[in-house]
Amino acid sequence: MRHALLTAALVLSTAATAAQLQVYPYDGARLLAGQHFDLRIEAEDVKDFKTATVTLDGRTVDGLTRTTTKPTSVEWTLRTQSLTAGSHILTVRYSDGAGDQIKSVRWNAVAPAAAKAKNVILFIGDGMGWNTVNAANLIAHPYNPANGMPTGKLAMMSDLSSMASVNTSSYDSALADSANTASSIATGQKIQVNALNVYPDNTADTLDNPRVETISAMLRRAMGKGVGIVSSAFGVDATPAAFASYTRRRGDYSAIADQYFKGDVQPDVLLIGGSRDFIPSTAPGSRRKDATDWIEGSQKMGYTFVSNRTELNAANATKLFGLFNIDNVPSYLDRAQYKSKEMLGDFTDMPYLWDSAQKAVQTLEKNPNGFFLMVEAGMVDKYEHPLDWQRAVWDVLELDRAVAWAKEYAKTHPDTLVLVTADHAHSLSVYGGYDATKGPGKREAVGVYEAAGFPTYGDKRDANGFPLPETDRTYAVGFAAVPDYCETYLGRRIFLDPTVSNGQTGTAAGYVPNPKICAEGSVQRTGNLPPTSNQGVHTADPLPLFAFGAGAENFSGMMDQTDIFFGVAKALGLDATKSK
Amino acid sequence: MNRRTVVKILGAVPALAALGRAGAAAPASLKFSELYGRVTVRGVEYSGKIKSLAGQAVSMQGYMAPPLKPKLDFFVLTREPMSTCPFCTTAADWPADIVLVIMPPGRELDPSTRGLTVTGRLEIGVKKDDETGFVSLVRLYADRVDSA
Repeated sequence: MRHALLTAALVLSTAATAAQLQVYPYDGARLLAGQHFDLRIEAEDVKDFKTATVTLDGRTVDGLTRTTTKPTSVEWTLRTQSLTAGSHILTVRYSDGAGDQIKSVRWNAVAPAAAKAKNVILFIGDGMGWNTVNAANLIAHPYNPANGMPTGKLAMMSDLSSMASVNTSSYDSALADSANTASSIATGQKIQVNALNVYPDNTADTLDNPRVETISAMLRRAMGKGVGIVSSAFGVDATPAAFASYTRRRGDYSAIADQYFKGDVQPDVLLIGGSRDFIPSTAPGSRRKDATDWIEGSQKMGYTFVSNRTELNAANATKLFGLFNIDNVPSYLDRAQYKSKEMLGDFTDMPYLWDSAQKAVQTLEKNPNGFFLMVEAGMVDKYEHPLDWQRAVWDVLELDRAVAWAKEYAKTHPDTLVLVTADHAHSLSVYGGYDATKGPGKREAVGVYEAAGFPTYGDKRDANGFPLPETDRTYAVGFAAVPDYCETYLGRRIFLDPTVSNGQTGTAAGYVPNPKICAEGSVQRTGNLPPTSNQGVHTADPLPLFAFGAGAENFSGMMDQTDIFFGVAKALGLDATKSK
Repeated sequence: MNRRTVVKILGAVPALAALGRAGAAAPASLKFSELYGRVTVRGVEYSGKIKSLAGQAVSMQGYMAPPLKPKLDFFVLTREPMSTCPFCTTAADWPADIVLVIMPPGRELDPSTRGLTVTGRLEIGVKKDDETGFVSLVRLYADRVDSA
């Protein structure tokens, strides 16, 4: 034991003075054979740098560009590399005034498989964990009060070809955000929180980080497939951005907008919210700082531009760009049921997600090589954060209608794979019933176990056949991870933030329950998040993955999120070593 | 927030009423819902009312967005109480209908969570604040800030 301690002490003392070496792709990275990546080696805490040699499988790597971004660092970069199938070892032999070091990383490149599918439609419910899907199912398909039997299932849960449970994590945290999770689906890599399809680096520039090629870019490059991106969130938000852009900071909104039209994907179909990142800074409401106008610019590139549901449904294009709101597309409830001026503003003709998914497929299927389409229900997460579970859950129902259409498409086009999954979860839970006639805000109105009874969702329906959120017997739904807030148990037609600033700054800054909600009649809940949290947060809970059609067998059991990338590549027979 | 903090903030705001211009005509009242005529994907259009009031004294009611610092020479007025600080992140998502309030030179304000009535000269048009990079569409050069 004494000897072991002594050895440990020696190792620690050596480590304290030696340079810190980082290599990207990271040790243990799994890539697709032919997938492009940037090799990056960084030495920090350098003392009188002497030499370094880099070998891949024993052969010297040439062409590395050496930089020194600060007096105590040396970096080497070699962009647009790729690997042949199989396992590889990259070794860095490094020498400076503190001594010699060797660092090796192992990479595995997956060989291409025979194609099962020609097309993929990937639905991502942002923040749609198992529990959120379950809440939507309970509301859309109430139990039969005569015998307690289910009366149906969501389309995404029915007639499955296969199913999996998916775990999430980021490169630097067990808890994930939409940027790294969507990037893991897009690239098969673990990515840092807030980053899109890049590895870390030691420079301040967020757009120069080492990149790893996305599935959408590879399908374009190697197979000539069409690519479509649809989202109800603002279009440069993390999930849609993960399929066409690269940055260390998901908030690089203008750069992401530019990458849609100048990057390595350039989707044929882009149907999104958030026009403010695509109009010039001279237009009031723009978030840009330059004169770039992508509405005009896209038309010069051959895109047909549409800005509402009527124009979308009438479009007959091969390249289609749609912006349907200056910000996020409002929730389904606001568009289809409440229709209030406060929530919709002047945007009264916005497409449903099923309109956009259908038009995207009809546009993309003109490409004889097939297509990859990502459809995001972005507002699920946007309303789970502020604990507005009704708006979040009804957006799952809207997504489900789009999935139902895609499943029908896959039946008539058996070379199509349909996947429905999420990027990360939220802590939403259905824990009881709620007698709305006694509310809002009365704990006595919460019924547990048999006192919950069977809620009466579905007694009335909207024009799309969806249940209304206002009903006499509802579910009691809440979140595990919360700030201090006032719980009313019921929704409201005009959205309100659950918290407001306490008016303090610096270390005293924090949040208090929104007094307007507290005044509705409510139960004040003591939060369990830090006082600096103003809303709910993502969780590490598992996600569902539902698969339909060709290649669905690649998705089963317990999967890591990065496995989704390899499953899609395998289903489509993606050989990234080729260039079309 | 504890009760003592509330009292402290309430005490701070009325002190600003001393900024008021004695004997001035009653300013026109302007509501958040009256700022813009139409919002399309190509941008925001100012309403006829706000265009006609530009350069004149107006009065608006709203809330102070989460502040950047303990003493404020400017702040953002919002329709509803908010939890997002417009200045604190480069790409925060805040509503389009916000109003930048600029305090008179040398006069600073304590942060407040209460409803506020701001009276001052109205200015419209896209303007970028060089210090913060914040882009505003509607500004009020305040004469008075009162508890609503």
